[in-house]
Amino acid sequence: MKCLLLANESAEVLFYWTDTEFEQRVQEQYGLPAFEDSINTLFAPIIISCSTMVDRLGDNYTSFSTENNHIYVLHQFEECLYIAVNGDGDETEEDLKRKIFVMKKLTEIMFGMVTFSGALLRKELRPQDTEQRNRLWKKLRSLLETYSRLRENDQSFLVEAVERLIHPTLCEQCIEFLERRLVQQINSNMDRMGEEVLHAFILVHTKLLAFYSSRNASNLYSSDLLALIILVQDLYPSKINLDETSEELESSSVPEVFYTPEPSPPERESGDKNMAEDSLQTLEAPTPDPSAPSRVFLESKECPMPHSMYCLPLWPGITLVLLTKIPNSHVATSVCYFLEAFVKLEKRLCEGHEGAAAMRGQPSVQEQRSRLEKLIKTWAGMDIQTSQLQNAWTDFKNKAFSRSGSGFTRDLLPSCRNMKTQLCGVYRQFFAAECMGSSQRLAPHLQERALSMVQEKLMDWKDFLLVKSKRNITMEFPGLIHFIYVDRSNGQMIAPSLNVTDRTVSELGKGPLADFIKKKVWSLVATAQRYLQKGYATVTLRDGDYFYCYFLWFENETGYKLEVIDIPSSPDDGAPVGMLTCDYYRKLLRYYSKKHQNEVVKCYELFTVHLGVIPNEYILQHCSQLARKLWEPTRIPLL
Amino acid sequence: MSMTVFVLLQTPIDQQELLCGQLAGVCRCVSELSSSPVRLLHLRKSKYAVRMKDKFLWALSCVVDIPDVSVCDLLDQLIALFCFYNGPVRQSYQLYSKQELALRWARYLCHLQGGSTELHHIFSCLRTIDSTHIDPLLLLKAALILQACQRCPLVLAGCILYRGRVVSTQMPPALTVKVMVYETQTYSQDFQVTANGLSSLVGSPFSSTATTQVFLMPTELHMLRCPPVDRACRSHCNQPPCQPSRSRLLSRTLSDTPTTDTDSSSLDPTHCPPPSYKTVPSSPRSSLSDELCFSPSPSRVNTPIHSNLMNQSEYFTPDSHVHSTSNGTNLCAVEEHLAGLNIKQDIDANSGSETKSNGLNSDQDIQSEEIKAPANGYEQSNCLDNHSDLDSQIKSEENKLDANNHVTNKNGNGETEEEAKTKSKQINRKLKEKNEPTNTPSPHETLEDTSLVPLVLYQHRVKGLVLALLVEPEFITDHSAREEVHHSSLASLNGLEAHLRNTSPGTPGPPGPYTFAHYDCIQNTLTTNVCGRSVGPQDQAFVKATKLVHSHFSRLDTLQEAIVRNASSAVYGTRTTAQETYFLQQGTPVRNSGSPDPQDSAFSLPRKARLRLLKHGVNLL
Repeated sequence: MKCLLLANESAEVLFYWTDTEFEQRVQEQYGLPAFEDSINTLFAPIIISCSTMVDRLGDNYTSFSTENNHIYVLHQFEECLYIAVNGDGDETEEDLKRKIFVMKKLTEIMFGMVTFSGALLRKELRPQDTEQRNRLWKKLRSLLETYSRLRENDQSFLVEAVERLIHPTLCEQCIEFLERRLVQQINSNMDRMGEEVLHAFILVHTKLLAFYSSRNASNLYSSDLLALIILVQDLYPSKINLDETSEELESSSVPEVFYTPEPSPPERESGDKNMAEDSLQTLEAPTPDPSAPSRVFLESKECPMPHSMYCLPLWPGITLVLLTKIPNSHVATSVCYFLEAFVKLEKRLCEGHEGAAAMRGQPSVQEQRSRLEKLIKTWAGMDIQTSQLQNAWTDFKNKAFSRSGSGFTRDLLPSCRNMKTQLCGVYRQFFAAECMGSSQRLAPHLQERALSMVQEKLMDWKDFLLVKSKRNITMEFPGLIHFIYVDRSNGQMIAPSLNVTDRTVSELGKGPLADFIKKKVWSLVATAQRYLQKGYATVTLRDGDYFYCYFLWFENETGYKLEVIDIPSSPDDGAPVGMLTCDYYRKLLRYYSKKHQNEVVKCYELFTVHLGVIPNEYILQHCSQLARKLWEPTRIPLL
Repeated sequence: MSMTVFVLLQTPIDQQELLCGQLAGVCRCVSELSSSPVRLLHLRKSKYAVRMKDKFLWALSCVVDIPDVSVCDLLDQLIALFCFYNGPVRQSYQLYSKQELALRWARYLCHLQGGSTELHHIFSCLRTIDSTHIDPLLLLKAALILQACQRCPLVLAGCILYRGRVVSTQMPPALTVKVMVYETQTYSQDFQVTANGLSSLVGSPFSSTATTQVFLMPTELHMLRCPPVDRACRSHCNQPPCQPSRSRLLSRTLSDTPTTDTDSSSLDPTHCPPPSYKTVPSSPRSSLSDELCFSPSPSRVNTPIHSNLMNQSEYFTPDSHVHSTSNGTNLCAVEEHLAGLNIKQDIDANSGSETKSNGLNSDQDIQSEEIKAPANGYEQSNCLDNHSDLDSQIKSEENKLDANNHVTNKNGNGETEEEAKTKSKQINRKLKEKNEPTNTPSPHETLEDTSLVPLVLYQHRVKGLVLALLVEPEFITDHSAREEVHHSSLASLNGLEAHLRNTSPGTPGPPGPYTFAHYDCIQNTLTTNVCGRSVGPQDQAFVKATKLVHSHFSRLDTLQEAIVRNASSAVYGTRTTAQETYFLQQGTPVRNSGSPDPQDSAFSLPRKARLRLLKHGVNLL
């Protein structure tokens, strides 16, 4: 019984997702002809109460729980309220909170800076055109389900760090190949339509085989890489829950197949069919254009930068991903610059600063004014609608600079807000997937060429890679049941596989014991994160027949262990500990680095599960050896 | 739909109403969606334990860092306390005015909050005397006094309290907590009398008895009337007054031990919970059987309190239970009673030092709404020292409120008792009158109404020492029984009081190089060396970790032990079904990196705890 919904302040549902059980329950209780109406009716009182609480008491609900253990988690981002519900005991309050933050992350990846404006986000999430809305909601629901599936089954999404295939030689060869052959060839080709490949990487299921970034590319953050893996998995899902036998792999190496994306997994299809009440659901989306890229917005130092993402399936389970810079992407930086200026101005005005004080901390007003004038003129010549922006700008100028206007006072706030919205609007016109000309892409023959080149390169390795991805690392310590080792500085992890249903290759075998251990590992990570959030970096637990350890520590680049510090404990309503959502560890590293400004600081985590019968001192010895042993593979450079 | 709102905080009245309206509305909405009552409601700056039963809703708020399990326990205890002294909830809400009810809730809450340290709040435990400083023979003596009282067949069980702390009890912890409220209350009354200059507390002998009506749940009563120990003996109530030394009683301290055969181990309550307690639902987590408390009274008509308090929440859908009464007033069966009671457990309330400075929770914002817990649990009347108007109100209304409570002075010739009896008859008449306008109650309602069983709480005070007995209602009228109980215990009580008074009260030697807390889940008691007044940074670290690990234990039954460590402290927690123990070794830890290291001192905590705590009577082996 699960549900997730987004609503704005006027209690309008911008997006919702429910599982079949939740839907049935609601239909039984309220039985309105359109399911969406039921959802609206049900949640409206809660949504309205939320805004009342914020307005009148400056406080807000963060969660409810009932005696039959239903959990409701609420979180407000700007003007958008997220509510996640669980009534089947599968998810904890923390899981729901994480789901909300992941949903937020996914909207950021898909819409970039448009999410800054409530009105525009509403337009984006609730397009007037029903068919278009249908398509979008289907996509979002599918992404959410893909995330939940990965979170439930994949250890790298449990700890939110990317897992690498440990094969240094092959890795190095691939990186070289991507750099010298692939990226160079594409970027020097005339048919790339003004795009430029910045990052290229190869995934084996969710694991990273090789990653290459071109020299003028900015850093790709782990949080973005994880989100991109969700997108890839959504397009080409790995059959985690099915037995993947070798016959299956062999029978499916016909190249044509790969340009037709696989249909959504069967369970999702049936789920959608059950939503037939919602008339929107019954419409079939047109088959997506196979060579069209996905628009993704990736974090950079300045702002969410638009990129095109090309997912090229090499074989089932193995995918080549190209991230390209698109034409005009520099516009994003300038829009962002002014958007930020208006955000700052709004903040100062709200705080009661007026006149020159309102512009403190920003470059001279005149300079900014003339820069913006110039930009608006340039944009006007670029084939996009700028009349609204121009109107807003005229209005702002009249109020702020003319004698008859209010000047920099509170009265300027509406114009200031309008400018923000219009800037977001320009950004949207330039970059939103819907608005971009559908012809903007790397020429299909270039994509095909890239695909076949990498296929050729990896042909002999593919079976090995698929097996390797299931058995990346093995354990040698007696009494050690499982471990996860994470390098938080580069957002990567190593762990023995825990494929509960896989017939062949789990370290733990299969059946109830493996399933039990998996549950324990999942709860260990959740527990450790809860303690970490409260400032505890070392935790050991004796639970039933097992002994669990968690360690977090810092090292410098040479592996010298740095002294432990008091980690500030974060409030309960803060972002969950992780990388995919708000990147807790990036902040933690920044916090620690303040005290060690002269050296590069690295952060590591180790989770272990041992048999409880083993004496503690041996267990700790094991942990210490394990940390030393695992340190080595992470040294292998990715670039 | 009516809604009674009483809020014990200095929140502006419009905010109170807003809060109550919003919370009640949202709870209703969520519970409808989930077909289950809301239990907990978190806000960014506070959290509320919620109880929704029948047509009632209570919400108890506290700061966010109190564990969920603790605040839920507290609310349950609070409601149980209310029912214990006032009987079925619906009936009380018809009998008493809003103000009266508010004062009662305030008093009970104040009592429950009166624990001396924050740790007491975390575990919601009983306050006991520090048995390590007391001659075991005194505990034995106390138990014997209780046993002697039980010779009178009308006496069910009792406990002995000294200055607000339990010396010995025959009752399960949940019941002992309830009984203690009356003790602290009468103490403050008595104290007022002496303060008026009539007599000095110290100089002359000061002894009084008092009785009040209380209501027990059938399970509680069943346990008292038919304790698992020697049920056959107990089933016949007309036993000869003189019993052989073999106990037929339910005694916590000396369950079945003949007086001649005192085994030291059986004296230690922490080690040998008497078998009779195995069946007692005394754990703080045992849920209160609400059905019994929340019985609707046969009448719900003509109570002016309700008719003028109409719907205050925009979300309440018109309720189908709304029905017109004969006199034409629209009265709803649905009543949302929201007791928004804000708590802040601030250990240093009296010393005035602001101990919290981590700045992460917005204490400041809600400080104004909070009732400070008394630093000394005993001086209950000081509890609301920040709210002196409310405090004095409580005191002045005390006599009015406790129309069915009779405090009698020993030398009062029983006249006051007579008075009290007539008073109580009046009350009964009043009740009956209220009930009369309705037709005969439905069998279902009658059944529910009788589910809480009225008993009498008898109390005999000798200065700081109190003998509290739960007795059958006939005890009040049975003059000879009263005399017998009184005379048989008077001398022993005097002696015990003198001994306890002369025992140096908690000169807790130099605090060891460690901090610990040991919680006995069966007896609901806490042993700790965390001093209530001065809380150093180490103690704060200890309390913080204890909160976290305790709520972890409460969520995960299979968890046996945990070590949690940050840069400045490491805390070890361990538990069995009967106990939870927490231990912190003081002193700055040696430089470490937090990476796995067998030499790390944090991992030697279990060994140290086993060693150190032996002398506190805590056996972790």
